[in-house]
Amino acid sequence: MIEFSRHQLPNGLQILVYPDYSTPMVAVDVCYHVGSKDEDPERTGFAHLFEHLMFGGSKNIPEYDIPLQQAGGENNAYTTNDMTNYYLTLPKANIETGFWLESDRMLELAFSEESLNVQRNVVIEEFKQRNLNQPYGDVWELIRDLAYRVHPYRWPTIGKEISHIAGASLDDVKSFFYRFYAPDNAALVLSGNVDVDKCLRLAEKWFGPIPARKVKKPLLPAEPEQTVFREKTVERQVPDTAIYLAFHMDDRRSRGYYVCDLISDILSGGDSSRLYQKLIKEERLFIELDAYVSGDHDQGLFLVAGKLSANVSVEQAKQAIWKELDRLKGEPVSVAELEKMKNKLETDHVLAQMNYLNMAQELATWENIEKAELINEQIEFYHAVSAADICETARRLFRAENCSQLNYLAKK
Amino acid sequence: MKVNRTIPPPIRPIEKPLLTPPACILLDNGLPVYPLFSGTQEICKIDFIFEAGTWQQDVPLQAALTNAMLQEGSENYSAGAIAEKFDFYGAYLQHSADHHSGTVSVIALTKHLPNLLPVIEDMVKRPIFPEKEFETIVTRRKQRFLLENEKVKVLSQKKFSEALFGAGYPYAQTTKEEDYEKLQRSRLIDFYRSFYHSNNCKIVVSGRFGDDLTVLLNHCFGGNDWGSKTPVRTTPDPNPSPDRKIFVLKPGAIQSAIRVGKTLVRKDHPDYLPLQVLITILGGYFSSRLMTNIREEKGYTYGIGAHFITLKKAGYLVIATEVDKNYEQATLNEIFLELRRLQQELIGHDELERVRQYLLGDYLRDLDGPFALAANFLGVHEYGLDYDFYEKQYRTILTITPEKLKQLAEGYLHEDTFHTVIAGRESG
Repeated sequence: MIEFSRHQLPNGLQILVYPDYSTPMVAVDVCYHVGSKDEDPERTGFAHLFEHLMFGGSKNIPEYDIPLQQAGGENNAYTTNDMTNYYLTLPKANIETGFWLESDRMLELAFSEESLNVQRNVVIEEFKQRNLNQPYGDVWELIRDLAYRVHPYRWPTIGKEISHIAGASLDDVKSFFYRFYAPDNAALVLSGNVDVDKCLRLAEKWFGPIPARKVKKPLLPAEPEQTVFREKTVERQVPDTAIYLAFHMDDRRSRGYYVCDLISDILSGGDSSRLYQKLIKEERLFIELDAYVSGDHDQGLFLVAGKLSANVSVEQAKQAIWKELDRLKGEPVSVAELEKMKNKLETDHVLAQMNYLNMAQELATWENIEKAELINEQIEFYHAVSAADICETARRLFRAENCSQLNYLAKK
Repeated sequence: MKVNRTIPPPIRPIEKPLLTPPACILLDNGLPVYPLFSGTQEICKIDFIFEAGTWQQDVPLQAALTNAMLQEGSENYSAGAIAEKFDFYGAYLQHSADHHSGTVSVIALTKHLPNLLPVIEDMVKRPIFPEKEFETIVTRRKQRFLLENEKVKVLSQKKFSEALFGAGYPYAQTTKEEDYEKLQRSRLIDFYRSFYHSNNCKIVVSGRFGDDLTVLLNHCFGGNDWGSKTPVRTTPDPNPSPDRKIFVLKPGAIQSAIRVGKTLVRKDHPDYLPLQVLITILGGYFSSRLMTNIREEKGYTYGIGAHFITLKKAGYLVIATEVDKNYEQATLNEIFLELRRLQQELIGHDELERVRQYLLGDYLRDLDGPFALAANFLGVHEYGLDYDFYEKQYRTILTITPEKLKQLAEGYLHEDTFHTVIAGRESG
């Protein structure tokens, strides 16, 4: 059981406190419930570009990083499809510096044309570094585009194209801030060597005066059920031909999500997993082969991704994967296999608690999904999964009509 | 009362953590065990460290593949059975080989260790290097190697290591595709026999565990059944490239990867700790000179850093970044401008105070968590140093002066002592 407490300020800000006195450090994490799924389809990549601008100074503090470094602190942030998360760590004595910095940029950002110009360029270089200049760097973009027709998960967080980032204006930046950055659309998570009462006093002092902005979340278009098999083939300068099968799956608030996650572990969690033992080691059809869930908070994707051994055809690879997927539908997993999955979860749960910063980020993630309390409830969800659930979910998911297949051919 | 947001909260001094070196317990055969007890969770990491790195190998890939093959089958457990055991108990088995060591590690809930240590015992004492597993692993490694070679950052880093040390020196990464085809299984067995035995091993344990763990370790690893003699290797001297600027062609690359650097001192040199501060100012944190100039002011790159890499027999500085081909020359100009500024101007008071505070915070972060304590122990023990190193590090951060930093820059950062390597597409 992970012990944390929940509090709320009158302006709507949710506060979560997780003490861990084995560390001399504290983490201050602010999660805003806005991600790339909330973007305008013609301005993709904006949530992430905005994350960069959050470091360009705020209303009363011209520079963000410098005072934090003076307090012995360090920070970073990340943007996903679903959320934008800012975190910093400090020696416990200087925790107030974190409240001061984070509250001022929640209050009001220093909107500057200069900062926008530079960060646009930085993000464009990031786009090149991560996507354009990497082998297999455009895979996710291709898969999302194939698997989704209307839901905003159809574009990647970094953005669909460079022109969307290059075209962002200061007016776009301002309206995005006032639309999404507000205490009533955020959670403040404090972890590590923290005193709950002191944290609440500081939260009231620094975050209390920020006005609520009555944030209205955009209603996202629901993805219609896929009814026909989709396939796309591209050719790229890469060493190995790869195949990707993407299946629509349950959202993270549903029990089904946890069944899908366990299925991915059965298929490829660890060296004893089915895909590794059968298709990599025994039949040697693949160099790499993984099954995983995308982890998106709305209905995401279940993926099987493999790099083919030399002289193996895409058709052979596809059939070998389907054989393993079909096996899950009819043949219940053994008691030992299920126990193995649950033992791994127990270790991971303990490992997660060894790091206060990781815990702050986990709590922020669950709060964004629905509520932080799920961090404990999820354990029960996993333990409740039976062999019959796995067969039933496999039958529901692994159908050709629910599959998008990307063939990524190595240019000879 | 309205809070005044223009006044920062007062900054309080950062407490120095107490660091205690671990005891050394000898197993019955003399094998040293270093226990670092800490943490709140009933979990352990155990590292079995053999002096068996690229420094010891006589053909390419020998150290890495010998290490990787330990989990591919032993007298009593097949590769599949080993994987099944660790996965069943929810444990993580890790293996790695670097320049000086080959390591097998396990992370597991402490309660499962009695079921896992006998498997590790069989893996390290009685591996059988099965032919089929060997072929699979070599093929997979080769494909991974080819994939890595598609990346400009990898191409530039490899060429840079060769420029600094010369091909043939163990710190130069010069493995080629054909080395995978030439590698023979028998060379791994030779390497295993020479370097994986109880006289060439140490064990580091971190996390929460009881006295019974030592008994268990002694039972599995304390016997005289796996001792041997370690052959002595002679190593050539480093042979840096006379070419100061080297270009690696990667047709079609949108960005170029830049590496600029030179060899510096080893960890036991009196200038080591002061140089660490200097390199932090240059490019070791978010508001460093390089990041401020090249990312935050010019927007040429997503990131640029200066790193002081510490190896047993050498230390080197490397400035690393990836930029659009069109910013390549401008970026190089700014890098060398920043190196000159450190030699010509005294660092200002505010900047130095900020770096001190940042490094003190970092000092705490580095020592945080049970597994970090093991890394910190090895960070001195492997270099023949003791915990006094961390005392000195703390004092250096607090007391270093602008004059000393300028003097170091003058001594170490002359432009004509640097190597520059760029991997990218052709010009024009």
